[in-house]
Formats: sequence, structure tokens, C-alpha cells
Amino acid sequence: MSARRRSTTGRLATMALVAAVATGLAACGGGSSAGGGASEASGAKVLKLWHYEGETSAMGVAWDKAIEIFKTEHPGVEVQFERKAFEQIQQNASMILNSDAGPDILEYNKGNGTAGLLASQGLLTDITPEATKRGWDKKVTGALATTAVYSDKGVMGTGKWFGVPNYGEYVTVYYNADMFTKYGLTVPTTLDDLTKVMDAFTAKGVTPLAMSGAEYPGTQLYYELALSKADRSWVDAYQLYKGTVDFKGGPVQYGVDTFDQWVKKGYVSKESASLKAEDMGTAWIAGKYPMLVSGTWWYGRIAAEAKFDWDTFLFPGNTLAPGSSGNLWVVPTNSKAKDLAYDFIDITMRPEIQTLIGNSGGIPIAADPSTITDAKNKKIIENFNGLLKSDGLAFYPDWPVPGYYDVVVSAMQGLINQSKTPAQVQDALEGPYTAGVKEVTGG
Amino acid sequence: MADAVLAPQRTVRAAPDRHRRGAARWLVLAAVALVAVLTLVPFAIMVLNAFKSPSDYSNGGPLSWPSGLYTDGLVNYWRTSQYPLKLWNSVVISGSVAVAAVVVSLLNAYAIGIGRVRGRMSIVALFLLANMLPQETIVYPLYYAAKQLGLYNTRLSVIIIFTVVQSAFGTYLLASVLGTFPKALLEAAALDGAGHWKILWRIVFPNVRPTLSVLLIFFFVWTWNEFFIPLVMLVDNSTQTVPLALAALQGDRLMDAPTTNAGALVSLLPAVAFFLVFQRTLTRGVTAGAVK
Repeated sequence: MSARRRSTTGRLATMALVAAVATGLAACGGGSSAGGGASEASGAKVLKLWHYEGETSAMGVAWDKAIEIFKTEHPGVEVQFERKAFEQIQQNASMILNSDAGPDILEYNKGNGTAGLLASQGLLTDITPEATKRGWDKKVTGALATTAVYSDKGVMGTGKWFGVPNYGEYVTVYYNADMFTKYGLTVPTTLDDLTKVMDAFTAKGVTPLAMSGAEYPGTQLYYELALSKADRSWVDAYQLYKGTVDFKGGPVQYGVDTFDQWVKKGYVSKESASLKAEDMGTAWIAGKYPMLVSGTWWYGRIAAEAKFDWDTFLFPGNTLAPGSSGNLWVVPTNSKAKDLAYDFIDITMRPEIQTLIGNSGGIPIAADPSTITDAKNKKIIENFNGLLKSDGLAFYPDWPVPGYYDVVVSAMQGLINQSKTPAQVQDALEGPYTAGVKEVTGG
Repeated sequence: MADAVLAPQRTVRAAPDRHRRGAARWLVLAAVALVAVLTLVPFAIMVLNAFKSPSDYSNGGPLSWPSGLYTDGLVNYWRTSQYPLKLWNSVVISGSVAVAAVVVSLLNAYAIGIGRVRGRMSIVALFLLANMLPQETIVYPLYYAAKQLGLYNTRLSVIIIFTVVQSAFGTYLLASVLGTFPKALLEAAALDGAGHWKILWRIVFPNVRPTLSVLLIFFFVWTWNEFFIPLVMLVDNSTQTVPLALAALQGDRLMDAPTTNAGALVSLLPAVAFFLVFQRTLTRGVTAGAVK
């Protein structure tokens, strides 16, 4: 009895000791972390800024320059820049922004499930007054603005401004000009032309399209095909719930059926079902396929690594293309230097920085194409501006409801490896979409 | 007599046996060599790609021979990730956790295995449960607790969490080891007038030291490789660990395979070095215990 009691007290003593040590250390930890930005919002002397773009990417280069300009214009303000892991921001944004360890301004992904969710949780600052005062709402318009404004429920398209995009992106076709010349083919301008070009390649035993079934590329090709039969009202219905979407006919059926035919005709190899986007990209860069239907985020890498003559063209015949604004600059509710954050956003919207984005291989949203020096750069920017003018950015197929990405990817994977019929794929796309829309709009 | 008769018979019978075993031994050796090679292939590919330029990688794929030695990946990773700082954080966290968790495990196990406290089975079950819970389920409570205590975004938060998580396993293991501890030793020590504290340090500790050093190595390596909880708890780049630095190389839609490989190589080396160093002391510790 006494032995047991004694050992229990021993344990208690140890626990008390551990607890005491922990509190002691906690006091130190708390003290040092609170030192960061305790000053008032008006006279903040520190701007804590986070983004997750690579150092040599177009945005990385341009934003470095923006930080430099910010420093010269705000002497006495210290910029604490940290390049973050994308995954960390994706997974933990709400936890980080809910604490005092968060930044004063950060890059964040646009969309309902990301920026919209944070906005609906009250973690982001409503920047509508600044957007109108500083004229951001004049530079960011149409489909670009759709992803910058969110409703109280976090649905994009209407409501208040919660972010400002600096750049855009869209899906285009990269082609290997050397292979086109070798087989005596010219750049297609209609979908029929494209089919003929692909027939010519398959006749020579060349698979015309690089593809990846395990990630987003399959979904974007399907969406391109669906968009070839769609108009803006269909996009609004599909993306913004302004109407009902027919999954058993119309653009969806055309997209799924055509994708299926393309696989059967050998335009896409069945082996690509399990490939990742990275494999698709490297295979195209290695010159194994004549065409690649994918986003402008590949542009900088292809420009640096492809050793053959290449260029881009818009998906032939389409007036709508998958695409949107880039990621957003957002200002957390807990930001301790909101005025400085707005000043920084304003710098990134200046022609100087916008031109730098363009000349580094990115797609600025407010730049004059005549200031872009490289011919290929100029072309993708002009194509983007054309899409903007005709209101042609149709977002991405996985955007409408949370968790839809996996649904669309696995549906298209089923078509690529021919384990599902087009009808089954249409059913697979419809169920989660309908349930998801009900949850978003009703909840 | 019987022994003398039996002995030669045994050798006679054993001779072909050993011969057969000889052939089998070569087969086993070949199989082990094959498995070793298969184990090393991923490392070889990693090393190969760590010294390849991105353009080389995209044009030739992961298995091609690099056209030139490219060290920018290593240099970039070292510089952009502030590697020495990350290494220091990882060493501080893993080292503290390893030592603290072993101490806590030993104290817990002493109470449960030798002290035989009431309800020890349920205590052990509780510890096991804590260890088996997926980290995703406990991360929110941990986040709120850390925030309330002012520990969020400090290395100490991760040290405390993993000391508890690792010592849960350590307690379970050591408690069953100590459950079979020779009673005679304990009684002899008690007769000599040793108290609980003295018995623990003079009798129990020296006898379980080999087990403790194995636990120490496991705890260090496991904590070193932890990703999820550090990802949640360590927000500032200045508090982050090596695996988190590696994750920063993976972008939204693009990855830089050569730099990732270079980073993986640099990040792996400390853990391997640690294991090799302690492998020697570990073997020595085990043999020392066995001879005694």
C-alpha cells in the first residue's frame, strides 16, 4: 500500500516538474513571438509578407522588384518576407490567420474553397473601399474580378472585394513546330483542322497529344471540348449556379463523347491514364509529342528547357477557354499593417511591375503588350487580352463544388483507360455536382 | 561413452547438411544482395538527379545520365531554405524529444511494469490509443491548446507533443519489458535498503540500457521525419524543420525535380549519419549487456 502511494507521488512530482519546465519555457516562447509587430495599425514599422512563388518564376521576380520599390518608398519600414511552402498555406491558412503568428499580407489561392472559405470565416479584410479608392476595380474587371469578390457564404462572383490578382492564366495549346514541319502540317484554326492534324500524326504512328490522366490535364482537355459547344450563360450556370446544367446533353455530353472518341482514335495514349502532369510536361519538352494542351503556368519552364522550335495557339475554334485570374493578394483580418499592405498591392499593379511579369514569362493583367519584348511572350499575353476582351475565361471544371477535383480527374481517367463508358462518366460527374451545389447554395 | 559414439555420427550426418546449407547460403546471399540493390535503387536515382540540370531532366527523364555535373540545385536549396537553420531546428527538436521521451517512458514504465500501479492495463491501453490515433484527429485540439498557452509557432510545442506521442509507444514497450524484470534482483536491492529511486537508477536502468538506446534512436529518427504536426505548429521559416524545407520546393502546379532531389539528398544525410554513428554504440551496448 505504502509502496504504491509513494510511487504515485513520485509520478506526480515528475509531472509537476515537467509542467513547471514547460510553463517556464512557454513564458520565453511567448515573449519572443509577441515582439514581431505590436505597433498600431497606423504607425506600423514592419510588413510581414508571404508568398509561395518560386524565386525565378515570373511572379517571384516581379514581386522581388515590388518589395524593393516598397522599401525605397517606405524608409524605416522593415519588410519581413518569407517564401512559404504551398502545402503549408493550403492546409493551415485558417489556423495561421486565426493566430497572431500570421502575416500582414499574403498570396492565397483564388476560388470558393480557398479565398472564399477564409472570407466567409471572417479571416480576410474586406478591401472594397481600397479597391475603389485606388482604382483596382478599374484594372481588374470581368472574369478576373469574379475570383476577387466573394459573397457572405464565400461564393465568388458577387459581394465584397477580398483579394487582388496580379496576373492571369489560361489553357492553351503548345506545339512542337519542328514536328509540324517534319510532317508538312500547318497550325490548325478550327476544331476540324485540329482533328485532321491529329489524324495525320496518328497515321505516322505519332500520338498527337501529351496527356496525364492522374492529374488536372485530362479534366482541362474535357473542359476545352465542352466549352467549344458552350456560351457564357452555360459557364455562369456551371460555375456560379445561375441556372441548371444538363449533364445528359449539351456541352457536357459533347465534351465527354469527344474525349472518348479521341482516346479511341489514338489521339491520347491509354498509358497516360496513370501519368502525372509533371510526366506529361517532361515528355512534351523531350519532344515525344507534337502538342500539349495545358496552362500558361508551363510557359516559363518550356521557354527555359525545350530545345526545339515551338509556339502556342489558342484551342482552335473556341471563344471560351479554361482560365482565370492568378492567385490573390489578400490582407488578413489580423494584419497589423493594413495600410502598408494596401500600398504594397498598389505597387504590384503599377505598369512597371506588370511589364516585368510579362517580360519574365508571366501574364500580367494590366500591361501594355507593346512593352513586351519577346515574341512568344507577347503572343500569349495578346491571346489572354483577347480572351479578356471577349469575356472568354471560363474558370476550371473542378471549381464549382468542394472536392470536385477528384471526381473529374477519376472520371476522365476512366475515359482514358476506357474502363468507363461516356454515359457512366456523365453520371459520375452529375451526382457529386448536384449534391455539392445544394450544399453550397442551401447551407 | 554414449557421447563419444554419438559425436562422430553427428558430424558425419552434419557434413552433407553443412554442404547443402553452403549452397543455400549462396542463394540467401544472392537474395540479400538483390534486395539490397533494390533498396538502393531509389537512392541512386535520387543522387543521379540531384546533379542534373532541370533541362537535362526534362529532356532525358529521370533515368538518363546527366550531360554535365550540375550543382546549382544543391546550392539553391542550401541557400533558399536556409538549410543550416533548418538542420539546427531539426536537431534540437529530434534530440530533445528523443532524450525526454526515453526518460518519460522509463519513469512511466517503472511505475507500471515494476511499481504495478492500480489500473495499469487501462493506462497502457490509453497510451496505446494515444499512439494509434491518426494525427489529423488530434491536431485541432493541439492547435488550440498551443495557442492558449502561447506555444503556437514555437519549437517547444512540437517537442512537448512528440515527447508525449513517442513516450506512449516507449511506455508500452518498456512496461512489458519491465513486467518480466527478475524479482530476485529487486528484492535483493530492497533488502540492501535501496529506495524506489535508487532501484530505478542503480538496478533497472543499467539492465534496460540497450533497450533504451534502441528507443532513443527510433524516437530521434521518427521525430526527424515527422511532417504533419510540425507543418501545423511551426509557422515561421525560422522555426521550421528539414522536412518542411523540402516541402517548400513543391509548388502549386509545378515542381523542380532536380532541386527536390538535391534537397532530399542533403536532408537525408544527417539522419543517415546519425544512424551510422549510433549503430556502433548500439551494437556495443547490446553485446555488453549480453556478456553480462
